[in-house]
Parts: sequence; C-alpha cells; structure tokens
Amino acid sequence: MNRTVKVTALLLAAGLGGVAAAQTSTYKGPKVTLTYLHGFTGADRPVMERLIAQFNAANPNIEVKAQAQPWGTTWQQLPSLVASGRAPDVVVINEDQITNFVARGAVSPLTNAELQAAGINKSRFYGPLFKTADYEGKSYGVPISSVAYVMFYNKDLMKKSGVSKVPTNRTELLAAARACTTDRNGRKPGQSGFDPKALNTWGISLYNNWVGSRLAYAAILQNGGSLVDKNLNASFNSPQAVEGVQFLVDLVQKHNVARPNSTEEAELAAFSQGKVCFFPSGQWYLDRFEQQKMNFGVAFVPRIGTKQDAAWGGSSHMTLPKQRAGYDANKRRAALAFVNWMTSPTQNLAWTEAGSLPVMPAVANNKKFENRPIAGVFSKLGNIYATSGFPWGGQVLGPFDNAWANAYSGKQSVKAALDAGVSEANKQIQQARKTFQ
Amino acid sequence: MSLSVPGEAARPREARRRRGGREGSALTPYLYLLPFLALFLVFVVYPVGYGLFVSMHRWDLLAETRPFVGLEYYRNLFDPETPQSQFFWNSMKNTGFFTLVSVPLLIGTSLGLALLLHRPIFGRAFFRSVFFLPGILTVSVMGILWRWMFDNQIGLVNAVRTDLLGMQPLPFLSTEGLAWVPIIVGTVWWTIGFNMTLYLAGLGNISQSYYEAAEIDGATPWAKFRFITWPLLAPVTLFVFVTTVLASFQLFGQTLVITAGGPNRSTQSTIQYITEEAFSNNQFSSASAMAFLFGLVMLIFTYLQFRIMARDARGEN
Repeated sequence: MNRTVKVTALLLAAGLGGVAAAQTSTYKGPKVTLTYLHGFTGADRPVMERLIAQFNAANPNIEVKAQAQPWGTTWQQLPSLVASGRAPDVVVINEDQITNFVARGAVSPLTNAELQAAGINKSRFYGPLFKTADYEGKSYGVPISSVAYVMFYNKDLMKKSGVSKVPTNRTELLAAARACTTDRNGRKPGQSGFDPKALNTWGISLYNNWVGSRLAYAAILQNGGSLVDKNLNASFNSPQAVEGVQFLVDLVQKHNVARPNSTEEAELAAFSQGKVCFFPSGQWYLDRFEQQKMNFGVAFVPRIGTKQDAAWGGSSHMTLPKQRAGYDANKRRAALAFVNWMTSPTQNLAWTEAGSLPVMPAVANNKKFENRPIAGVFSKLGNIYATSGFPWGGQVLGPFDNAWANAYSGKQSVKAALDAGVSEANKQIQQARKTFQ
Repeated sequence: MSLSVPGEAARPREARRRRGGREGSALTPYLYLLPFLALFLVFVVYPVGYGLFVSMHRWDLLAETRPFVGLEYYRNLFDPETPQSQFFWNSMKNTGFFTLVSVPLLIGTSLGLALLLHRPIFGRAFFRSVFFLPGILTVSVMGILWRWMFDNQIGLVNAVRTDLLGMQPLPFLSTEGLAWVPIIVGTVWWTIGFNMTLYLAGLGNISQSYYEAAEIDGATPWAKFRFITWPLLAPVTLFVFVTTVLASFQLFGQTLVITAGGPNRSTQSTIQYITEEAFSNNQFSSASAMAFLFGLVMLIFTYLQFRIMARDARGEN
C-alpha cells in the first residue's frame, strides 16, 4: 500500500470530516507545468479554481495552469490540438463525447500499472460511472463529476391525494399516480365523466424532449435492454425496450395519469405549483426547488422494469490526450498525480458543492448529506448509467429521442417508433463506421 | 447598365492627368488591393478550397488516413436510401417553406407599418422605436420568449384560447405544421423593425410634389400608392427582398431554440442539419458536401435576384 492510498484510507476511516488533509503526491520528479482544459464555466468555476489553487500550493513541483472554456469549444478544438501536437496535458471530457474521442484516437489509454502508480484505485468509484470512460477493455478517464436522473416528488400533493409511500416499482407508481390524478370536476381516472383532457392534478410528468426521453432509457435498462447491442449497433427496439417504453406511454394514453403533448417547461411549472406528484428529471433542479421552499423529496427512479434498478446519469472524466512523440514522461506522471488528487474523496466532497453528485461511495456516506433531500438517492448511485460506450453518440441518441417523442405524442405506436428510430440510427452508424476504420 | 451623369465626358481626361501626375505606375492600384487580396485568399479562397478537399475525402483531423472518395458524399445526397439524402432534402424543403411564407409577410407587414408610421401621427417616434426594439434581442432571447408564448400547456396563446375563449389548447410545439406558427410569428416580430426602417427611409425620399400633382388630378389614396409610392419604392423593395430571402435561407437559431427542429424534423432547417451532421455526428465530409450543395442553391437564387435587379435598373433608366 503506497502512501496516497494510506492517506485516503485514513481519511475514509475518519469519515472525511470535511477537513482537507494534506495529501502526499506520487510525483517526485522535477518541476513541471501542466495545462488543464475544462468546461466548468458556471457556478462551478470558482470551486474548481479553488481546488486547483490548493493543489498548486500543496505540490511545489507541479504547476497546474487551468483554462475554463465552454464544453462545445473544447469538442471542436481538441482534434486540431491533438493533431498539431499541442494538446493540453489534462482535459475533462463529458460522457456523451468521450467514446467518440477515444475511438478517434484523441485520448490515450490509462494502463492499470499507471493508475496504480498514481494511487488511482478504480474500485473507489461507482462501477458503471468509472466504466463510462472505458472502451474495448481499456480505461481512458477518471470520473470527476456526476449528475443523474432522479424522481422529485411533491409531499403536499401526495398527502392530499392519500399517497403515503414514495413508489419504488411499477405497481406502486401506477397506484400512486392514479391517486394523484383528478380532472377539473374532481373526478378520478376510471370514474364516469372523467375528462382526461382537463386534468387539474396528475400523477407523473412526461414530456417530449431529450430529458423526457431519459426516463424511457431508464425503463429499457431496467428491463435488461440497452441502446446498442454488443456490436454497438442500435438495439433500442428489443422486446424488453418496447415493453418498458410501452408502460410509460400507457401512463398517458391508457391510464390518463400524465398529460399528453407536454413540454419540460410546462411540467416544471406544474410541479412547482403543486399540480403533479412526481417529476422525473435531472438532479440539477434541486437548488431551484430548495430555493422555492417547496415541500418536496427526491427518490431514485422507480423500478419500472423487471431486471434491475437503473437511471440515466451524465458525467465528466479527467483524461490524458494523445501527445506528440517525445512527450515528457514526467509530465504524464505529474498529470496522473493531479488526476488522483482531484478525484480523491476529500476533493470530491468539496466538488459536490458545485452541484455534482458524489462519484464514490466514500463521499456519499458523508454526514454532510444526511439531511439533504438528495440523500434519498445515494444508496443507488451505483445504478446510474451514462449513454456512453459507443463512438456514434449523435447517431444513436438523436433517433432515440425522436422515437420517444413520436411514441409519447401518440404519433406512432411504441414498436413502430422504436423500429423507425433503430433503422435510422443503424443506417447512420453504417456510414459512421467508415470514418473509424 | 450605364448611368448618364452630367460632365462624364470630362472625367477620362482628368483621370489621365492624375495618373500621369502623382502615382506614375499602373501597378499602384494593385498594391492598394494587395492587403485585401491577402485577406481574401486566406479567409475565403483557402477555406473554400479546403472545404472542397474535405468533402471529397473521408476526412477526420485525427484519422491516420484520409482516403479520396470523390463524389461519394455528394452522391449520398441523391441516393434516397441514405439518411443524409432524406434529412438534407427534408431540411431544404423546410427552409424553402419558411422562406416562401415568411418573406411576403416580412415585406408586407414592414411596408404597412412604414406607411402608417410615415404619417405625422401622435407618438410616431415612440411607435417606431417599439417596432424596432425587438431586433436588438439575440436569437436565443427571442426564441425562448416565443416558445413560452406558444407552449402547449403554459403558453399565453393557449391560456387565451382555453380561459377566455373556452377552446381546447393547441399543441403548437409538438404538432407538425403548427410548430411553424411560433417560428414564423416570432421571426416577423423580431425582424420587422429593420425592414420598416428601410422603407421609412425610402418613403422619406419620395418628393411630395408627386402626391400634390396626383391630388390635383383627383387620385384616390390607392391610386397614389399604386402609381407613385409602390414604383418609387421599387429599389428599396428589391433590396429588402434580396436581404430577407438570404436571411430566411439562413434560418437556424429560431428553429433551434423554439422547436429544436422537431417534431420529427419537421422544422429542421438546412443549416441546423448540416451542424448536426458535422458536430453531433462528426461527419465532417458529409456536412461539407451538404454545405457546398446548399451554397450552390443559394448562388443560383442570388444570381436570379441579381438578374431581376439588373433588369429593373435598366427599366428605370
């Protein structure tokens, strides 16, 4: 056990305590300067800058020079920076881009020996989260930040509707959603004269954009399906996928416990106004609901499928771009030491101030979160899956989101919408493959 | 086209004298042009040439080989089996539809407003400013505003329909066809002020004496518009027409923010699809081929418009 691991273990034993203990770097070489490119340009920027300043102060032989710029700019610049041999030493890449950059050779693999030498222990992270940056059996990045799809619930409306338990599976969700639904005349679904077009309150928010489609993604994963098959061709029309998505569409079209043809803004407004019991969306709305002083809770997405718990998550990973021949090996070792420091429990705990979820159980167990509403999802953070692992993200997710919109709006049957989406995606993948040969 | 200007005959002699006097070299004008030529070569000729190269190779900056594929990506656009062909021509159809509907609206409404605000009415300056102001907003602000207005559930338009008129709400944002309403209405609201200002300037240049003469002849207001205002505004209308058509062809931000190109790509503009192919699908060669084809179509339109303009100028002379 090297020193960093020992220090980490000690910190864990102490429950982190919120104290930034000094951490010994694994890099002992001559002084190097590292360039670090990241897209944390919002409210998270000061937190990142503070962490970098702490690192520089604690590591006199490594100077990290950071540059924050919009993510989109980095995606456009990275290929030319790598191709011209001027790549930064460390770049943060998001889950929806990473496999593409890996497959195009913009990022270098991190060997087990290298990770070990730098003190980076894969097992300290949530498994699916770490694997987001894996491709063809190799690791290419270390998770630094994470967001997830969760289910917000309105406690007041639930109480008023007689729902005492937050639903955790399909049956409970349907029963609770039915209880929450009333039309303008106070009638319930199933009662004679019930008007599904004029809902006063309703069970669950479904909506037509990409965020709305991430619930369909969860349903597919929970049923044991996936977006792509083992050959990385689109496969979101499998029987498991159709079954899971059909349940969601039935919530609108058959059970009338969700509004048809709704938008994210409309559902967000309705949830804030206490008109809908369950609002599945990104955990990034947490601050907003807290500031509104709503009486709400946060739960993991209920198990709609039959196989496993699952929810969509987005993530950011620290990667080492491919460098020109003759690149200073000391820089690579120093970069890995920096990655290790930044993704260590103490720093990750500090980073959660920026709105991220913990990327490792050791941080999720910290007492700091005990009374936060978001703590309700922490026991299942290991069941969060990114839409990653295939280099043709746009070609798969675009048609998938469109298929969801068509199925949800009733424009096509679930099977027809998913079949059409897969057919389109596979045609595009077939052409994209030529670029990666 | 040649415009006859008094004293034109004297000019060549004057020019000869100047050339012979100070500069002394036929190369001088070209030296003055040199910096612009350099900029033109670096920022226009080279990117266009490189784009053409990209469109004919299977190109990726990071790829080790970039094989020549000739016209493969252009051929894809004419092969109905490829998604590129399907979506590119769908986006062309959408852009064409938008141009066809929005251009007459943008010209008609701005001309109407200009005619109203050209009169000496109370609060004229205020109204001119009010109609011009939306134009200073960025496309994202304008887009969000109109998306909210037409939201299926919380939009003002649907609130009026349901609460005041007792009608069913219309799902504007998620119904093919209806989704164009917020985009077109929003665009008219957003850009009307600029065209209106051009028309106001044009109206200001028409001599009042024409109208006075027409009044003596007993002309009706319509006759005055038909035979004086409209023909004398022809150059302004042509300018407004050309710039509005070009701007409409470049439709991008409005559809991106209001509908994200949906539902079902029914409002996806050509530039939006080219951007998706390049930066979301990482198919740069395919996107370049589309851009060149789109550029060619724009070029043909511009050529036709210039023909019309030239004919009009000849007619006036």
